[in-house]
This record gives sequence, structure tokens and C-alpha cells, in this order.
Amino acid sequence: MEKKEVIVGGWFDLPRLGTEVFSALVRRNGVVYDKSTGFKFDASTDLPGAVRTLRSAGVEVELSLRCFVCGKSACPGCPYLESCDRTSVSTLCLCADHAPEKSVFEAYTKTFDVNLKG
Amino acid sequence: MWSEKYRPKKPDQLIGNEEARLALALWLSKWDPGTKAALLVGPPGTGKTTFVNLLAKSSGMNLVDLNASDVRTKDKLQKRMGEAMATVSLFGERSLIFLDEVDGLAGRADIGAVEFIKESVKESQNPIVMAANDPDSDEIKKLSSSCVSVRFRPPPPREVEMYLREVARGEGLAVSDEKFRGFVMEAAGDVRQAINLLQGSQQASPGEDDSRGRYKDRDRTESEALNGFFGAADKQEAMAALRALSMSAFEKVREVHRSVVKSGLPAPEMARALDAVSRADVLIGKMMKGGDWRLLRYLDRIFVEELYPVVRGMAVKYTGQDDLPFPMMARVWNDSKKIREISLRYAARAHTSGMSARSQDLPYVFALCSKKKFREELEHHLGLDADRDVLESYDKFLAKEAAR
Repeated sequence: MEKKEVIVGGWFDLPRLGTEVFSALVRRNGVVYDKSTGFKFDASTDLPGAVRTLRSAGVEVELSLRCFVCGKSACPGCPYLESCDRTSVSTLCLCADHAPEKSVFEAYTKTFDVNLKG
Repeated sequence: MWSEKYRPKKPDQLIGNEEARLALALWLSKWDPGTKAALLVGPPGTGKTTFVNLLAKSSGMNLVDLNASDVRTKDKLQKRMGEAMATVSLFGERSLIFLDEVDGLAGRADIGAVEFIKESVKESQNPIVMAANDPDSDEIKKLSSSCVSVRFRPPPPREVEMYLREVARGEGLAVSDEKFRGFVMEAAGDVRQAINLLQGSQQASPGEDDSRGRYKDRDRTESEALNGFFGAADKQEAMAALRALSMSAFEKVREVHRSVVKSGLPAPEMARALDAVSRADVLIGKMMKGGDWRLLRYLDRIFVEELYPVVRGMAVKYTGQDDLPFPMMARVWNDSKKIREISLRYAARAHTSGMSARSQDLPYVFALCSKKKFREELEHHLGLDADRDVLESYDKFLAKEAAR
């Protein structure tokens, strides 16, 4: 089975899936496809369904979340990596630079406010 | 309780679902009459209702809060929503109409209600937000063309840890990373439970074994919540106590039943109290049989509306799980440490709570351990094979459990 790392919220490409799997995938809620940039999963995507569809086509997807504060990939080095079901939790998290032990709650709320105003 | 003390007070203080929260805030800021309604879909406990409440408050809007499970017919909805939809203050201030649990509009009783909501969305002078647990229910499918759908999910563990650390900071506590992670894993995405576990751990006697302390603390939190229910001053307080109780529905019914039976209530009150508990039990049975998890929302209401008026002021007390049969107690004493360790590791892998793992899954998992191959795979997946001695002792234990 081919492994594919996918950052939720980022564009990614896939090997040729065949018409049937491709249609099934893009019909899933929230799966975005653009001919030039590829596929995108975001907060509205039916992630468990999309991952199942790809698995049926021989592509094992390893989802990775982005950091809400800085936008970097959040999963590398995360102590919860093994136990976190990234298809079911909300799609933004915290990276190693903004890890919980660094008292980041203020930065977190500030980022939310900035996004709210922006 | 800390879970109440540290309840978010502003929309930016919630954790998880950042994109969903921002999308909803943006929708509200751009709302004009004729705009689609917002539909928040996600499992219970993901912050849908809390966020809507905080958003209305921070936007200076009056919140008109309706539960669709209680207002299921067109006539009732019209009566409750009609005025709110048409009214705008002299200064142009709007209300936010919140219709919770719209997937509760099921069956014959909702005739006309869904159509009424769809019409209301077009005509309302005030924004309408709806919330539902089940994205696949018929009601949600019918409503989706009139709504902007926003999905809510449980927060990731790292964000739960961040919030937990904020609570610890507020209380001036020094807690190890390992302990924080233990609470986060055990709470399995439930922020309130994680806070309860943290609070419980700080009330344990110093010097106690960490994991044993955690168990005792949870018992204490459970006891506090259940006794809070039995001794509540009014229904609102009783409901708050039940909501703070981090038990599964089965356990809740079982422990309430145990407390009532042991209370020594006079016969007429005992009969009425047990009648109320039996209705809760029937509800859970129906929920399990039909797989209709939405029924779960009525459990606390049955206790508050039917049981609480009977037991109020009758000195009913929760005395803890002290009446287990002796063989079971002996097993708990002898094997509790291993069961605890396995259940925590299993819970982390299966994305469930330690309590559910222990009470629901592990009995079956242990039964499967009679096969050596299964046992070895389980030990590997739970990371018990890191040390040879540890592995040997767990292997023996699992084989013994399987034989039991």
C-alpha cells in the first residue's frame, strides 16, 4: 500500500486513482479538487470517508494537522502522535514551537482575535 | 468545580474548531435579512452551544434559545420563534435565534416544522443558528439547502493539554508533563473531564501512588457530582451536577440506582424514585437496541424532572462503589494496577476513555487473549513489549484473564 502524507488545509497530489475512485473521492463532503493544484482536505471535509476511499484504492493516508498559531505542520514530534485520531479531531493544532508547555494560551487567543478581525 | 470556574468567557477562549468558529463569526458579521441560516453539526460536547452563547454575548445580541426537541411542531415553533424572527429594536439591534438539536425533529410529530424553519430562514429579520449532532439525519439533509453548514469536532489532545495547563497556572499548580498527558489521554477529547481529573489529582493525599491517586480522585469527583445532584437546591443546580459527572450513561444509571436502593427512603418515595430510575434504564435500553444515541440527551432530564423532586431533601447519598462482591474486590486489589495500565494504553489507541475501556471493551479483549497470537499482537500494540520482564508479567496476567 502506498503511503501519502497529507496536511489538512494544504494542496496535495495523488497517483492516478481511476475514474471510479476519483469520482467517489471528489463526491465526499468538503474534498476540493483543482486540476492545476491538486486535492485539498479542510475543516469541512468528511475526513474518515475520504481516507477510507483512498485506502480502498491502495493509498494509505497519513493526515497531519497545521499549527493554528504559525501554520507549520503540527504533528512531527507530538507526544500524542500515536493516540490522536486525526480524522476525527478538529483540523488545527499546535506545533512543537507552540507546544502547550510553553504557555501559549495567550498567543492562541490572540491569533484567534487577529483572524477574527482580519 | 474548576470546570465551571474555568468555563470560557469569550469566544477566543474556547479551544478546537478554530476554522468553524471563525466561519460562524464571519457569517454573523455579514448577516443581512435573506442570508442563509448557519447549521453547526458535530458530536455533543464539542462547544457548539457554548460558542453560540459567547458569540451572541460578545456581539451584544440577545440570544433566543430554543430546543427543537421540545418545540417539535410547526404551531409551537411559530409561537416561540415568530415574534423573535420579526422583531428588531428601535436602534436596529438584532437577536440571535438559536435552535438547538434540530436533528430531534424526527417522526410524525415534526410535521411542517422543517418546512416552517426553511421559510423562516428566508423571512427572518434576525439571524438563525441551528445545531445538530447527527450529520446524516433526514432533518439535516432537508435543511441543508437553507443553511451554511459548519462542522464541529473534538479538540486535538495538544490543545486540551494547553487548556489544562492554563487551568493549572490559574490555580498555581506545578504538575508534571507526564501527569498532564495522562489526564488528556484519559479524558479522550473531553475538556471538562480533563479539568475534573486535574482537580481530583490535587485533592488526593500527598505521597500516594500517582495512578492510584487518580482513581481515588475520580471517585471523589463522581461522589461530589452525584451528591451535588441529590443535595441540589433546585433543578438547575441538579442539572449542573449531573452534567459535571464524567460517567457513561450505563454507569450513571447504575450508580444512581445503587444510591436510591441504599438510601432507606420510605416505601412510597422509594417506589416513585425507582420508577424514575427504571424509566432512565428503559431509555438506555432503547438507545442501545435502536442505536439511537440522540436519546442520550434525555437521560439527565429524566433524572432532574422525575427523580430529583422525589429525592430532594430526603438525605439520599452516594456512598461509592463499596458493595462489590468479594471475588471482584480481590481481583481489583490484586490486578488493578495492570488493568489500569492496560486500559489507559488501550484507551489511547482506541480513542476512548479509560473508564469505557475498562467497563466495555477489556472484558472482550481479555477473552480474546486465550489465543497466543492475539495476545502477542495486543502486547505489541500497547507497547508492553518494551521490557522483557514487564512483557512476561503482562503476558502471564493476560493469559490468566483469558482463562478466567
